[in-house]
Amino acid sequence: MTGRRGGISFFVTLLALASLLVSACSQQTPTADQTATPGVAQGQPDLNAEVLLNAGGEPDTIDPQKASFVNEIAQAAFVFEGLMTFDATTTKPVPAAAAKMPEVSADGLKYKYTLRDGLKYSDGSRLTAKNFEYAFLRGCDPTQSGDYAFVLYIVVGCEAWNNMDPRKVSPAELAAAKAKVAIKATSDLEIEFTLTSPAPFFVPITALWIGWPVRESDVKKGGDKWTEPATYIGNGPFKLTEWKHNEKLVFERNDNYRKKIQFRKITKLMINESSVALAAYRNNELDLVGVAATDLRTVNADPELKSQLIDVAGSCTTYYGFNVRRPPFDDPNIRLAFAKSFDRVAFVKDVQQGIGKPADGGFIPLGFPGYDNTDKEQLYDPAAAKALLDKASPASKAGLTGLKYTFASSSNAKTRAEWAQNQWRTNLGVTVELDPVQSTAYSALFKKGQEAPQLFSLGWCADFPDQQNWHSTVWLTGGLSAGRTGYSSKAFDDLARQADKESDPAKRDALYNQAGKQLSKDAPAAWVDYDAGKRIQKPWLKGITDNPMDYGIPGYFAMEKIFVVKH
Amino acid sequence: MLKYTIRRLLLVIPTLFFVALITFGLAKAAPGSPFDRNPDKPPKQEVIDRWNRFYGLDKPVYEQFAMYVVNVAKLDFGLSVVRQRPVVEIIGQGFPVTAQLGLQALLLALAVALPLGVISALKQNTIIDYVSLFFATIGTTIPSFVMAIFFIYFFALGLKLFPITGWGTPQHMVMPTIILAMGAAAFLARITRASMLEAIRQDYVRTARSKGLREQVVVVSHVLKNALIPVATVVGPAAAGLITGSFIIETFFSVPGMGREYVRSILALDYPVIMGTTLLYAFFIIIANLSVDLVYGMLDPRIKVAK
Repeated sequence: MTGRRGGISFFVTLLALASLLVSACSQQTPTADQTATPGVAQGQPDLNAEVLLNAGGEPDTIDPQKASFVNEIAQAAFVFEGLMTFDATTTKPVPAAAAKMPEVSADGLKYKYTLRDGLKYSDGSRLTAKNFEYAFLRGCDPTQSGDYAFVLYIVVGCEAWNNMDPRKVSPAELAAAKAKVAIKATSDLEIEFTLTSPAPFFVPITALWIGWPVRESDVKKGGDKWTEPATYIGNGPFKLTEWKHNEKLVFERNDNYRKKIQFRKITKLMINESSVALAAYRNNELDLVGVAATDLRTVNADPELKSQLIDVAGSCTTYYGFNVRRPPFDDPNIRLAFAKSFDRVAFVKDVQQGIGKPADGGFIPLGFPGYDNTDKEQLYDPAAAKALLDKASPASKAGLTGLKYTFASSSNAKTRAEWAQNQWRTNLGVTVELDPVQSTAYSALFKKGQEAPQLFSLGWCADFPDQQNWHSTVWLTGGLSAGRTGYSSKAFDDLARQADKESDPAKRDALYNQAGKQLSKDAPAAWVDYDAGKRIQKPWLKGITDNPMDYGIPGYFAMEKIFVVKH
Repeated sequence: MLKYTIRRLLLVIPTLFFVALITFGLAKAAPGSPFDRNPDKPPKQEVIDRWNRFYGLDKPVYEQFAMYVVNVAKLDFGLSVVRQRPVVEIIGQGFPVTAQLGLQALLLALAVALPLGVISALKQNTIIDYVSLFFATIGTTIPSFVMAIFFIYFFALGLKLFPITGWGTPQHMVMPTIILAMGAAAFLARITRASMLEAIRQDYVRTARSKGLREQVVVVSHVLKNALIPVATVVGPAAAGLITGSFIIETFFSVPGMGREYVRSILALDYPVIMGTTLLYAFFIIIANLSVDLVYGMLDPRIKVAK
C-alpha cells in the first residue's frame, strides 16, 4: 500500500515537471465553451451558464445528518439550507430559513425560531417547522445519525437517546428516549429547542448541516438510496439532478429557492489527483481548482495561471501534541521548550510554500472569533527554549532519549515531520525519531492512555465559528485533544466552562482569551500553523465572496452574488 | 474435454475460497478501523462500538469469515462499511467501465500487435522490422503514467483533440484506451514476432514450401497457425491484466472504474469492498487462464487437455 502511494506521488511529481516544461513553451488559447449562451452581451451575467467544479473523490455520503467531511457537506450544501447560515463577510450567524434571530428565554435555556413565510422545497411543496423538527431529531437518532450528533448534545434528551444501542434496547425504550428530546415544532412556522444549560453558541449550531431539513417522506421512500436525485429534495439554492457515482454530480438551479441564483448549473467532477485537476483546469474542464503546494511552482511558472491565483483562508490549526502523562512531557518546561523552538514563519515559507499563516495567536486561527494575537506564550525563541529545557527535572529529561514523533503518514506529513525533527535537533539539541502510522490506525494508538504516543501530530478544523467549538470541545478535560494528550487543567476548565455559559458577548470573549492563554502556557500542544489554501479560477467567474467556513464551496454564503460572464 | 472443463470449473470454488481466506486475513491484519476516517476527529467509542456491532465486526475473526463465506454463497456481498451502499451496487457501477476499457484496450492491442509481429517476422532485419521493434521497445519500457502525461499535454492541452477527464463519449475513451493498450500491444507484438520466427524455421514449413505451396498459404495455414499458440497462452493473462489493472489510467483520466474504488477501499479498510473486488478479480483471472488452456488444446492437438 505504501509502495503504491509512493508510486503515485512519483508520477504526480513527473506530471508537475512535465507541466512546467509545457507551460514554459506553450501559450494557452481559451477555446469557446459550450456553456456560453448566444444573445448574452459580453460582461453580462449568463443566466444559463454552467460552472465546472471538482468534488475531489466520490463522497461517502451526502446525507446531511450523516455527513462529516468537507466533500460530503459540500454536496448537501447546494441542496439544503438550515435555520441559520453565516454572513459571507463577517462569518456571524444570520437567519436563513428562519425569518430572524431566535428568541431566547430569560434563563438562556429556550431558543425559539420563526420560519420565513412561504418557504418551499424544490419540488414546490411547503416547508414547515415540522420538517426542521424531523431533521434535528434525526440528527440525535442513534439509528440514523453520524459523527456530528455530538453538536446537538446541548439539547435536552439528545445525548441520552443518541447513546442508546438500537440492538440492545427495546423499540419502546427508544421511543421513550426520543419523546424526551426537547425539539418541538410548536406551529407551522415555529420551532423550539430547550437546552441543558445556557449556551450562546447554540445559534451557530443551528446553521450546521446536522439540522438541514431532510424530509421524512423522502427518507422513508428512498431507504438506503434516499440520497439519489429522485428523493434528495431540499430547500437550498440548487437541486441534485444527476449523480454518476465516481464520475460526477450535477446540480441545477432551484427556482423555488428564496433567492435568485444567477447561473443554471453546477457540475462537480471527481478528480482525485491534484495534478490531473490542474491539467483539466487548463483544458477548460474545470472553472476553478484548488492548488496544492506541490503544484504551486507549475502555476507560478505560467503567467496566465499566476494571474488567476487567489488566496483562500482556512479554518484549521495544526499542532504537535504532547503526552503529558509521562516523561519527558510531564514537565511543562519541556513542553514549552519544544513549543518555543521551531520557527513557524520559516515553516510556512519553506515547507508550505507560503500557503497558510504561522500560528502567532494561540489555538484559534486568524479570521475566527477568539483569535488572540496578544497570546505570545509559545513565540519562537530558541534561547528561552534552551533555558526552559535546562530548568526541567532530570527525571523528565531522561525521557528525551529515544523520543519518537508519531504522525498519520502521507508524503506531506513526512516533509513536515522531517522539518520539525531538524528544528528540534538544531535549536534544542534533542534527537526525535520519526514514526509514521497508517491514518486508519492512528486513533487506536490513543486508546492506551499512559502508553499513548509521546509526541504526535494533531489538528482541529472549525465546525462552526465560535470559541466553544475550539477551546471547550477540544481542550476541556476529556475533550478530543485533551483526551489524547492527557491534559486536564482546573484553571482552564473553569475559565472555558464559565465562558460557555456567559451571555454577555464582551465578557465571554475576554474569558475565552484568558482560557486560551492558559492553554498556550500549559502547552499540552505546540501550535504550528493556521491552514489556508490557494486556488485558481477562470476570469469569467465573478462575484465570489470567500469565507473560511464555506464548506469548500467558494462564495457559498453569498451564492446569489456569483455570476458567469459570457466567454 | 467436457469432463475436463467441468473439473476445472469446479476447481474455481476452492481457489476462490483460498483467495477469500488470504484476503480476509490480510485485511484484518492491517491495523486500524474503517471508522477512523479522520485522525483528528475520531467518533466517540460508543458510536464505533455501535457500528462494529451493526456490521458484525465485534465478532471473532473466524466467525466473521464464516459469516462472509455463507453470505457469498448466497451471492450476498454485504454493505460497504464506509459508503453504506451494497457492494454489488458499487461493483456494478464501476466494473462495467473498467471491463469496457480493458476489452477495448485488448482488442486494440491485438489489432496492432498481430499484424505488426507477423510483418516484422516475415521482413526480418529490414527497416519495417526495426521500426516495429523500436515501437515495441518503447511500448514495453515507457510506463503508462509517463505516456499518460505525454498524451495529456500533447493531445489534450496542445492539440485540443480530446478531453482529459471523464467517461462516456468516444472522445473520452480514446486516450485511456490507447495508453492502456500500448504495453500489452508491445508485449504481444514481440511474442508474435518471436514465435513466427521460430515457426518459419520448422521442418514442416520447409516441407510445405518444397511442396510448392504458395507463400500465402504457407504463411497463413502453416506458420501462423502454429505461431499463434504461444501468443494465445499469453493473451489470457494479458486480458485479465488489462481488465483488472487499469488503476493508474483510471486515476489519470478520472475514469469512474473499479480500480480507483479498489484502492480507496484498501486505504479506508472498507472490508466488504476489498473482499468483493478481490474475489471478482480473482474470478476473472481464473476464467482467463481456463479459457487459454481450453483454446490451447484446440490450437494444438498434441496437447491433450482432456486427459
